[in-house]
Amino acid sequence: MVETLLLIGVIASIFVGFNIGGSSTGITWGPSVGAGIVTKTTAAGIMTVFVFLGGITVGQNVMETLSEGIITIDLTLSAGVAVLFFIGLGILVANLFGVPVPTSMTTVGAIAGLGLATGTLNYVTIAEIISWWVVTPIIGFWIGGIIGRYVYPEVNRRVEIEKTDGPLLTFDRGGTVPKPALGPNTTRSEVGTTAVVLAIGCYMAFSAGASNVPNAAAPLVGEAGLEVNTAVIIATLAIGLGGFTIARRTMDSVGGELSDIPLLAALFVMVTASTITTALSYIGIPISLVMATVMTIVGIGWGRATRPITFREAVTRDNEARERDIELGVIVAEEKEGKPAPAIGEAETEEVLHGSDLFNPRAVIKYVSMWIIGPSMSTLLAYGFFTLVPGVV
Amino acid sequence: MLSRILVPMDDSDQAGHALAYALENFPDADVSVLHVVGVPSMMMGDAVSLTLEDDLDEAAAGRAEPVFERAREIAAERDRAIDTVVGVGHPARNILDRAEEYDTIVVGSHGADRGRASRRFLVGNVAETVSKRSPVPVTIVR
Repeated sequence: MVETLLLIGVIASIFVGFNIGGSSTGITWGPSVGAGIVTKTTAAGIMTVFVFLGGITVGQNVMETLSEGIITIDLTLSAGVAVLFFIGLGILVANLFGVPVPTSMTTVGAIAGLGLATGTLNYVTIAEIISWWVVTPIIGFWIGGIIGRYVYPEVNRRVEIEKTDGPLLTFDRGGTVPKPALGPNTTRSEVGTTAVVLAIGCYMAFSAGASNVPNAAAPLVGEAGLEVNTAVIIATLAIGLGGFTIARRTMDSVGGELSDIPLLAALFVMVTASTITTALSYIGIPISLVMATVMTIVGIGWGRATRPITFREAVTRDNEARERDIELGVIVAEEKEGKPAPAIGEAETEEVLHGSDLFNPRAVIKYVSMWIIGPSMSTLLAYGFFTLVPGVV
Repeated sequence: MLSRILVPMDDSDQAGHALAYALENFPDADVSVLHVVGVPSMMMGDAVSLTLEDDLDEAAAGRAEPVFERAREIAAERDRAIDTVVGVGHPARNILDRAEEYDTIVVGSHGADRGRASRRFLVGNVAETVSKRSPVPVTIVR
């Protein structure tokens, strides 16, 4: 009986890990794959390795919170399996309706629902987690805003990410040991940027492991029956499986959308989101990597769109500035230089487009609402379930 | 007499039908085709990449061009000319903000995102919002 239940639990854990693998590999490697720097297969391979490293190190802190912090009792096997089913249900809803339901938050919701139903909820821990959930998007947004407004334009002017045709490296197989050499079109800086892109991808994969491995692994750890290492390995393999299979699709959808953004901006997003996610995982707070990513992107866009032309800029870039019409106090979203006259037969655009229209708060609120609805629903469902079927705990 | 008609278009079939309908049923009217770029999506990829361009107007016009190209073809088949207008951000809001300047709006029933529940759920059905809130009559073309 126990073996059967554990087997069901492992299957549920694999389902959860598989789906997490699909979505997190998508956002982690979408930009690099989109830019043609790595292939989808290489991406999935590297992903698996770094997800494991993230899960086995920093991820342990999150696992501790999930299995011992949120509720005062240890998760039993049957309760753990039930929790996994609620996580899976959240993922299923997300897949069916294509809405971004954050897995980490669904997990906390399901365990909190169990705690409420059995009167074992640790309110201090849950309050701390929820406060971080409120603060994190704001932090992500503001860091993104600062990058978009001040850092990105400066860096963009100096750095150019190159990608030439042909393989990056070729191997001279003449000798006993294959000697790597630069590919036919490869420049030295291309090797450098490729290395940076790969390193940042690995970092994000690490943070994905730290924040997401616990969702699949924690419910089966401890009293539920699995050793931490075993659970992490199962979760990693499932995430890897998702990375090699369904991530091929998510790299084009979710990840593809991220790769619409210039690679340089995507790298800023990845570093910021990974740092936020790793830091919070380190202090044991379960957090959604997607949440940090989306808020940083929106922040960068908003920061850039509302970028005013400051006095300093007007002075230091005098020549360019003189060619523009600058009205004091007017926020100019975009810089216009030598705009060509419209071709014959084309209507002239009369109105000026405003970048800030792209970041209408209402557009963002719809995604933020999912971060409230997702965990709330899982809490309610789990609460209902564990109240109606008290024997499970 | 309806003399100024707004036809919001994306790259869906329905949008093409809407334009054809407008041109055929209002032979003397001025038809303006509006296309909105940088529509909010899950990761805001389109919107952010647009703001990161050096020149927003130019980038937006460039992205709208394929839709206008098709609109001009549809118009040319009927020996008509059209005006083009580019908008950025939320489609329904863009349409509604301009609605007052026109006598009527002719819109396709579903945009290109039909079937992608995410867009339908999150962005909302453009035709529905416009028909509910527009100050001028709206024709929804299938």
